[in-house]
Amino acid sequence: MNRFSGALDRLGRAVLAGVEEMGKIILLFVSVLAWMFRPPFKLHNIFKQMEFVGVKSIFVVVLTGTFTGMVMALQGYHGFRMFSAESLVGGTVALGMTRELGPVLTSLMVTARAGSAMAAELGTMRVTEQIDALYVMAANPVKHLIVPRVIAGVLMVPLLTVVSDFTGILGGYFVGVHILGINSGIFIKNITRLVDLNDIYNGLVKAACFGLILSLIGCYKGFNTYGGAEGVGRATTEAVVLASIAILISDYFLTAIMF
Amino acid sequence: MFSLSSEAKVGLFVLVGLIILGYMSVQVGKQSFGLKKGYTLEVVFDSAAGLDRDASVQIAGVEVGRVESIRLKDGKALVRLRIVPNVKLEKDAIASIKTHGILGDKYVEIYPGTHGEAYLAAGEQISRTERQADIDRLLHQLGLIADDVRGVTSSLNRVLAGQAGEEAITSILTNTKALTRNLNHVIVSNEAALRAALENTRQLTGNLNRVVTRNDEKVGQVIDTLKSASREMEKTFAALSEITGGVNRGEGTLGQLVKDKGTAEKLNQTLASLQEVTQKINEGRGSIGKLVNDDETVRNLNEGLTGLNRYVNKAEQFRTFLSYRGEYLFDKSNAKSYLDLRIQPKEDKFYILGVVSDPNGRRTTKDVTVGGVTTRTEEWDRDGLLFNAQIGKRYKDLVLRGGLLESTGGIGIDYLTLNDKLKLSFEAFGFGRDRRAHLKAGAEYRLFRHLYLSAGWDDFVSDQDNRSIYGGFSIRFEDEDLKYMLTTTPIPK
Amino acid sequence: MIKLVDLHKSFGRQKVLDGLDLDIEDGKTTVIIGRSGGGKSVLLKHMIGLLRPERGQILIDGTDITKLNDQALNEIRKKFGMLFQEAALFDSMTVGENVAFPLREHTRMKEKEIRETVADRLRSVGLTGVEEKMPSELSGGMRKRVGLARAIAMRPQIVLFDEPTTGLDPVMAEAINRLIIDTQKNLNLTCVVISHDVRSIFEIGHRIAMLYEGKIIENGTPEELRASQNPVTLQFLAGSIEGPIRIM
Ligand SMILES: Nc1ncnc2c1ncn2[C@@H]1O[C@H](COP(=O)(O)OP(=O)(O)OP(=O)(O)O)[C@@H](O)[C@H]1O
Ligand SMILES: [Mg+2]
Repeated sequence: MNRFSGALDRLGRAVLAGVEEMGKIILLFVSVLAWMFRPPFKLHNIFKQMEFVGVKSIFVVVLTGTFTGMVMALQGYHGFRMFSAESLVGGTVALGMTRELGPVLTSLMVTARAGSAMAAELGTMRVTEQIDALYVMAANPVKHLIVPRVIAGVLMVPLLTVVSDFTGILGGYFVGVHILGINSGIFIKNITRLVDLNDIYNGLVKAACFGLILSLIGCYKGFNTYGGAEGVGRATTEAVVLASIAILISDYFLTAIMF
Repeated sequence: MFSLSSEAKVGLFVLVGLIILGYMSVQVGKQSFGLKKGYTLEVVFDSAAGLDRDASVQIAGVEVGRVESIRLKDGKALVRLRIVPNVKLEKDAIASIKTHGILGDKYVEIYPGTHGEAYLAAGEQISRTERQADIDRLLHQLGLIADDVRGVTSSLNRVLAGQAGEEAITSILTNTKALTRNLNHVIVSNEAALRAALENTRQLTGNLNRVVTRNDEKVGQVIDTLKSASREMEKTFAALSEITGGVNRGEGTLGQLVKDKGTAEKLNQTLASLQEVTQKINEGRGSIGKLVNDDETVRNLNEGLTGLNRYVNKAEQFRTFLSYRGEYLFDKSNAKSYLDLRIQPKEDKFYILGVVSDPNGRRTTKDVTVGGVTTRTEEWDRDGLLFNAQIGKRYKDLVLRGGLLESTGGIGIDYLTLNDKLKLSFEAFGFGRDRRAHLKAGAEYRLFRHLYLSAGWDDFVSDQDNRSIYGGFSIRFEDEDLKYMLTTTPIPK
Repeated sequence: MIKLVDLHKSFGRQKVLDGLDLDIEDGKTTVIIGRSGGGKSVLLKHMIGLLRPERGQILIDGTDITKLNDQALNEIRKKFGMLFQEAALFDSMTVGENVAFPLREHTRMKEKEIRETVADRLRSVGLTGVEEKMPSELSGGMRKRVGLARAIAMRPQIVLFDEPTTGLDPVMAEAINRLIIDTQKNLNLTCVVISHDVRSIFEIGHRIAMLYEGKIIENGTPEELRASQNPVTLQFLAGSIEGPIRIM
């Protein structure tokens, strides 16, 4: 009985802690919004973050996009062959990439690359008192550190998703047409037949949401780091795990709303 | 080496990204061409299931438009099509909903109509539609079939439910084992004769077939003759049933006769000579042969095709069945089995010939008179077989039959219901003076094509303490099945 | 004038400040001494509003900053400069950018002016030509001096120094001490310095406060302190193991 109530107690605390954390993240988002439109605008900071989040993630996103498209084509081919519908491979790859895999895989890769870096960077700044130094210099850390990162996340993840979609389809095309021997005209025809403009745009809206989520969570975890180098490590891990989960869960709801 | 600023790199990346996005958008967006141009036509389908807005409209596989809207109108689907301007459709155009492959999208296929009619103008309706044997309907059919199957299994469930059913089946199975052993024994001992008979039958039907295909009128005549012959046979059977009383009293002379191996041989010889006759006819020998092989006959063949068809249909009605039935007598802990050949020249008429193995065996009585006192002694021959020879006629759901039942004279009445799946029957036979008649009531249910389950009350007015509830099953094959079975089943030595 | 009244601060069950009272006079340098881990850095962070006390008041020119919101607090903070114990340089920025940060943040100086000011501040802490280096490329002492340059970049009224000379060679330590003395005198600054270096304490401090077990147990001029009979002060100044300060 005691153990039971103990477990219940812990569960309650965990739920409460989760809710509290979510609340804090939302409050952080609100203050990001508030600071975002308050001059002066340090454009250079934003560009630096955009370079970090966007330009430097291109390689890994191209790589994952291409291979995802390739493997989708391969898997789809074996599935569709059972119904003699191999020609649908192109459309399937394109639909899958634009709607789902492009946004999700890109944001997961960016989470792993940039979201974790945000948490680590801000965490280190926290434990080496750099954030205190900002406060002391009457500079708001949210404006200086978090706003540029969130802006970069929201703008760059969709752009990376475009790249991912495109290279994914190219990868699918390569495997489908050059390796599996599907007629290239039919392959492309099926892409244009099945994929709608809205599929692409909704995918990008999703990607923007994911960009917001991963940058916000990365910054939140880093900003609230405590406990030295170990704390930085913990914050980084938590940021990646929490952001990935949040991306996948919100993906479901976004999909339910949009498609 | 020059290095780019963050701003330049980001700018370049954004530019490339937007170009790719623009390219993809244009490629994908191209599809919605002509949606604004062109004219609309309406068409009403019973069901537009699976058809989406913007689905393709095709003529001979070439896209000529798109589905603009789908609405409900008077319980049907009103589909508005937008057709590209340079394609004109005739008034008698036909629209149908088709599917790309088995899983593909639905689209509207239009057969543009014959020339000479007026063209359909914008806003008009394509009045003719065609339903497609599509997956939906296929699935619907499958659904109905599944329902049937479920019906069968649920009734099976009902029949087999409960411990009693289970026990019954177990004992049935044990007995069946014993019975099939007996049956095998019977078959083995007559193997050669059966095989020869079968072979002759095959040749006979082969020849008969050839004769039938060559001749129309003659076949008609033959069949008519057969008809009257069967009427004769009926009379014969009637006479036979009169005789059976005598047979019954004669106690087994007929049985002896049938059981005799010589009988099979004779049957064999008869069939052989019958075959010889048809062979002769076929070769044009004899007067009938000449007649059959006349050129005129060949001419008649063409003219009388319809007639022939009719007769062939009639010929098809001629069916023979072989059935084995096992019945377990619960109160006697014994099994009874029946092997019947049922010849059915017409849908509503049949003859049954068969043997019955009764656990009690065949009863023989002997009167011994010693000093003016006559004592009747009863003896049972355990290995003795009983015989069935019946003639029957069906009136709608009711079947009346009579003749030799278990080697005694008797009658039976069957009532068929549930599409002939269920048969309720009542039999009365063995009217001897020294004992009460053997009455039997039971039901038989068809589970599958060849398998029947039966249950009932045997000898329920017996004064010999023979009454018993019984349960069992039977297997029934038509001649075609039978041929297959006998030629492929290895027979244990 | 910084006035601390009855400050209480604990971390978990550990009481760090326990009813602390301290007045810091304007235009003077106050040195705070005390055992390592005694709460000196914590005290300093309270003065600039980085930490909030559980109880008590922190009055900066009469304003209790414990009650202020972020925006008002920022206004107060603009009067301050602070050197952190570990310098707390922004390691994503160059040395020059670090020193220029408060200037860019709060002034409308031209790039050229900023560059000149940065060079000037760096020169005053004994550094030249390091503007383009990253903090990670500097030694610990150099980093501290850059931190100092950043703290005084805006010419604040109040400067808080957390161990400015720890980790420097004696010559450089002396140079920093001189810098503090000079700038304090020239600009009439209010300085609060934390230090363990007994020689520096008496050199730069107008007043010296002894922090012990969460309270200020002595507060006076260097002379007064030298004459103190308080066993804690005596042990601390003598650097003796024997005494009320226990080494755990
Ligand atoms: N953020 C914090 N969370 C928990 N405990 C803290 C925190 N900051 C300081 N402490 C604790 O408060 C006590 C005082 O720390 P403080 O940094 O003020 O010491 P100090 O007097 O500056 O020591 P030193 O001379 O070594 O710098 C220490 O025991 C430290 O563990
Ligand atoms: Mg300290």
